Amino acid sequence: METTAAPRTIVDSRGSSCPGPITDLAMAYRRSKVGDVIELWATDPGVKPDVRAWAAKTGNQVVSIEEPEDKIVAVVRIVKR
Amino acid sequence: MKKVLIVGGGTGATILANSLDRRRFDITVLSKSPAHMFQPALLYVAFKDAKPDVSRDERGLLARHVRFVQEPATRIDLRGHVVITGNGARYDYDEIVIASGVTTDPSQIPGLSEVDAEFGNYHTTVAQAQKVWTRLGAFRGGTIALGQSSPIIKCPPSPVEGALLAEELIRRKGLREKTRLVFFTPYPRAYPAEPMNEIVEPILRARGIEILTFFDVDRIDPATRTIFSIEGESLQYDLPIIIPPFVGADIAYEPADVVDANRFIVTDKQTLRIKGVDDAFAIGDATNLPTSKAGVGAHLEARVVARILSGERAAFDGRTHCPVDLGGGRGTFVIGSYTAPVVKYPPSRLSHVMKMAMGRIYWLSLRGTLEPVFDWYFRHTDPGKLNGRFRAPSAPAGVR
Repeated sequence: METTAAPRTIVDSRGSSCPGPITDLAMAYRRSKVGDVIELWATDPGVKPDVRAWAAKTGNQVVSIEEPEDKIVAVVRIVKR
Repeated sequence: MKKVLIVGGGTGATILANSLDRRRFDITVLSKSPAHMFQPALLYVAFKDAKPDVSRDERGLLARHVRFVQEPATRIDLRGHVVITGNGARYDYDEIVIASGVTTDPSQIPGLSEVDAEFGNYHTTVAQAQKVWTRLGAFRGGTIALGQSSPIIKCPPSPVEGALLAEELIRRKGLREKTRLVFFTPYPRAYPAEPMNEIVEPILRARGIEILTFFDVDRIDPATRTIFSIEGESLQYDLPIIIPPFVGADIAYEPADVVDANRFIVTDKQTLRIKGVDDAFAIGDATNLPTSKAGVGAHLEARVVARILSGERAAFDGRTHCPVDLGGGRGTFVIGSYTAPVVKYPPSRLSHVMKMAMGRIYWLSLRGTLEPVFDWYFRHTDPGKLNGRFRAPSAPAGVR
């Protein structure tokens, strides 16, 4: 379970189809440090495999990917930077 | 008369100024430069040695009733309704529209300033684009490393266009066998929007261009000619063609939190109003909108703001319509919106001809007189309709 202690950055990428939510996640990663949690909001379904592939490549953790009614919410914990 | 102050002198600023009713608005355009550049032409200066006739005098592009002031805005007080310029002059307004574009910041990446100074780039000035052409001319074989050094750039198709035109050039010069061409990108695939990647990636592969994904540039060591990524990989080059990071214009704001960490203005996606401020809008590359930084966005956003200022109900739908030069006289368009995914729009010669034609009609389009034609064209190419025609295959390529 996610604790509330970690600083959480919300990245609102809803509506982005080009260039796409992954660009916003990559940008947030640049500004992050180990221990940060990034919560990415998107509407493009491509975000789900992209976030998983991104986390696998960068060595970071996908905490959860959920779909509340109007958006996809991907929560990522930065463990490698 | 309502006093409208437009900060910037590019596509969005010019179309907006020319679209507002002179009987209702007192319009001032404040720009740091006297020149207006057609930026897409830099691609052809860099890779085709095109004539660098890419600029016009901004004054001459504005309708006669628009006041043009050539001064850099350095401070914008959105609460006090005043803009202060580099020489201390103050301009007040009833409504402000910020269309101040973006600038590049190579200093974000250690080593990039040296590389940029030596090898140029095709996103800033004619002189830098000509440097790319000169370096390509002196290239005799080895590794060309081409890509973007930060996730957010102006004109998302431009890295792919550069790679394809560079490949075409070295092939024509008989150097293809001696050249390794590596396209690096911070994204999971060559083009970030997957439907367009399904068009672009097979073309890159067919031309023997290596694609290095998830390569987000961390630093460059010019001494060993190596690019290092945040992900821990490295790439050696003989000729680097690197797109620098982009940031918003260097303007101080009150309140300060209307810009994000990259100085992009926090803007409502639909109304284009600046977050938390009345009587203030932002359009074009200057915004943080989740859409492409490209001329078409600035154009359409300028139209939306013109309608809102005129008392109409209007909202920006996130429409993109970016031409892509695929080399070999073929092209496509990246077409999407906030609600419609990017279309898998097939390459054609016609799309390439249309991209070339846009270079010619651009100056005329700034007048605003071609709007009925654009309206028809954008309706005809609505991404929702096109997605029905060019449906993506059920098993998309890429990371899935």
